[in-house]
Amino acid sequence: MDDHPPAIHCQQLDFVYPNGVQALSSVNLVIEPGEYIAFVGQNGSGKTSLVKHFNGLLKPTRGSVRIFGEDSSDKKVSYLSRKVGYVFQNPDDMLFCTSVQEEIAYGPRLLGMDHTEINQKVEHILLELGLDEHRETHPFALSLGDRQRLAVACALSLDPDVFVFDEPTTGQDYFGGKSIMNLIDQLHAKDKTIVIITHDMPLVAEHAHRVVVMSGGQIAMDGSPAQVFSQPEKLHQLSLRSPQVTQLAYEMGFTEQAILGVPEMVEWLSRSYLSADTTNPGSQP
Amino acid sequence: MMNIDMRTRKSPMQKLDGRTKLIALSVIFVLVLLFSHPAYILALLGVVMVIWWSAKLPLQTIKDLFKYFLVIAVIILVVQIFFYPGQTELIRLSNPVPAIGFSGFITLEGILFGVAMVLRLVVIMIVAPLMVLTTPLPELMLALVKLKIPYRFAFIMTTALSLLPSIQSHAAIIQQAQLCRGITYDTAGKFFTKLRASVALLVPLILGSFRDSQTLEIAMSSRAFGAPVKRTFLLDSQFSKIDYLILAVTIAILVTGIVLRILGFGVY
Amino acid sequence: MSALVEFNNVTYTYARSTKPAIEDISFSIEPGEFVALIGPSGAGKSTLCYCFNGSIPQLFNGSMSGNLNIAGCDPFEDDIPVLAQHVGLVVQNARTQLFNVTVIQEVGFGCENLGLPRPVILERVKQALDFVGLSGLEEREPTALSGGQQQRLAIACVLAMDPEILVLDEPTSELDPIGAEQVMDVIARMNQELGKTILLVTHDMEFVTKYASRVMLLNDRRLIMDGTPQEIFSKVELLAQSRIRPPQVCEVAEGLRQLGYRLDPLPVTLDDMVQSLKVLRHG
Repeated sequence: MDDHPPAIHCQQLDFVYPNGVQALSSVNLVIEPGEYIAFVGQNGSGKTSLVKHFNGLLKPTRGSVRIFGEDSSDKKVSYLSRKVGYVFQNPDDMLFCTSVQEEIAYGPRLLGMDHTEINQKVEHILLELGLDEHRETHPFALSLGDRQRLAVACALSLDPDVFVFDEPTTGQDYFGGKSIMNLIDQLHAKDKTIVIITHDMPLVAEHAHRVVVMSGGQIAMDGSPAQVFSQPEKLHQLSLRSPQVTQLAYEMGFTEQAILGVPEMVEWLSRSYLSADTTNPGSQP
Repeated sequence: MMNIDMRTRKSPMQKLDGRTKLIALSVIFVLVLLFSHPAYILALLGVVMVIWWSAKLPLQTIKDLFKYFLVIAVIILVVQIFFYPGQTELIRLSNPVPAIGFSGFITLEGILFGVAMVLRLVVIMIVAPLMVLTTPLPELMLALVKLKIPYRFAFIMTTALSLLPSIQSHAAIIQQAQLCRGITYDTAGKFFTKLRASVALLVPLILGSFRDSQTLEIAMSSRAFGAPVKRTFLLDSQFSKIDYLILAVTIAILVTGIVLRILGFGVY
Repeated sequence: MSALVEFNNVTYTYARSTKPAIEDISFSIEPGEFVALIGPSGAGKSTLCYCFNGSIPQLFNGSMSGNLNIAGCDPFEDDIPVLAQHVGLVVQNARTQLFNVTVIQEVGFGCENLGLPRPVILERVKQALDFVGLSGLEEREPTALSGGQQQRLAIACVLAMDPEILVLDEPTSELDPIGAEQVMDVIARMNQELGKTILLVTHDMEFVTKYASRVMLLNDRRLIMDGTPQEIFSKVELLAQSRIRPPQVCEVAEGLRQLGYRLDPLPVTLDDMVQSLKVLRHG
């Protein structure tokens, strides 16, 4: 076996739901440890079906999925969840204990860790995620943002190397979305592999290092945000749109490379587009 | 005008007016409680099975129901056989044990009564799904309302039934989410792990349904639910000749049944 | 003539809550306006929506003060079914507000409750489904539709009751990009083609600037700003305090303003911005 296998390796992956709907066809994908990857695409494009293969929630109909070199087909989710943590869109679906600390201790206890080890782990996670003042609180008495942090804490308690987030900012305001994205960035800074599903293109441009666009159960585009967002026509065909600032740059004739953030845009406009000596927009970076 | 006839006319059962079905099935219900002789109940079971067959419903559904019912049936049978105070002694097992009400022998009456009880439950168990599976919920509601059941009550009953699939799919999502927490649902033998897992499933499910029910109340009143006027029903259903025929036959059977019962037939 | 909607010093406190959910809210809305209601989570946006059709105070055991006039009705006095004929409320989360077995039953439900004659209901159902682009799906189960279709169905359900005002609480927050665009298109057309008055709650500021002619900002239970998108998105600091991120073009405009460029009025949409930049460049 490979000494440094990819975190996730899908080969010729097909998935057909029991009702006959083909959700994935011939997906080939390698995710290396430490990547920060975003999956985008319309609902029904296969994003969720694909990432549910990363921790064995779904098993390939044909082809294979290997998780750190291990074939997922004969592994239980309970086993794979120690390698790949999965945070669902609605945190309430994941929570069922009577206090925040119980909730965090639940997974380690199932793993058979000893008492001291569990306590240490719980303490550590409570502090790390800023949940220590709520340790005795009933999970359902927390705010949505804190419930989501708790769902992350629960995944974290099993010490996985990969984290999958299904639409982590959906239904949240800007502040809530930003706070969960900061947390995800922190996990990435600690060498965790990050996989997010989202519809929020500015979020992709500002956080992810790689974007996979799904369409009709297949990978339609795969590259850095700059590469993907510099192809507005192709995105348009897939009914997706670059972040507004990227579109603006394109409209103003700057097409060489996608501008992903507001500061770069302001800089380009002031240095180049709006400066007096510019006569040929788009030709000067 | 657009087509609002949403009944797919597959079987004779589905062509019937909801009221006819409700009345006919209620009569079966009454008859099965009226008689206590296994032969009579067996005959009723035969009738119900013919209806099931004519409704083109899969036999598998009945088989699935029986999987859950088998244990209960055995318990009922055993309890009745051992404890029914009969006279016709068949097998002597031991001396009487009055402390637990055991006479010490098995009687013919005990066996017959036990068999009758089980058969009754079988009939009832098949009749209820027969109604639900052959009647789309709006028709069921219409039938209830036309039979003078208050609309609010009929609505709550049918809506509860219609929400079952969405509760089921939510349960499936919760189960997946919890698998990711390290729970295993298949831990053979470990009773408390299993129990813990089912509690884990129920807590978010119930809380979620509770939250949804508040939204539902707002959404329903936003659409004038409970307005103090006579409600219109988009769907309408009239008795056809077949409905009248079936109702006549049903009533004839009911009357015959009652007469037989008064004359002392069909009881043990 | 008085406004279509009037709130005067409205305060509402939920039962078992010490702080009001909305406090001292006053504003009025004229017929045909398209108003976006923005604000961070917990600011009181949904509470304000519920006041429009009497759900508050009638379905909750809270305490309410102030005066309201909703299309000539008083939510303190008039029953919700009466208000429902003037205000169509589409609550957050389409799935929970659909509870019938077929699409046609779902859309007809409101009119059935109002006791309208059957031919009238069928005509209204047909028109509503046409308008939201769901014709042909009459016999489908609402739960079998896509998220975007479900949300448009929820709109059709209240549209069939022909209200003057539509209140929509985050109708696009759970949808994919196509679904969201289609829902917003329906909302915009209700305003433009049918002359409906719209109150839209959303976190998507690009939708706000694209469609709304007026923005109300709710923060910490109070209405703190009320104006055109240009006015609202110029107040950079107030927005930051209210934890609202303006659309990216507004951020670019603000960046340019700080460098001394004059952008008046503030461009709030992509097209505005492209025009303003061209003007700025060529003088």
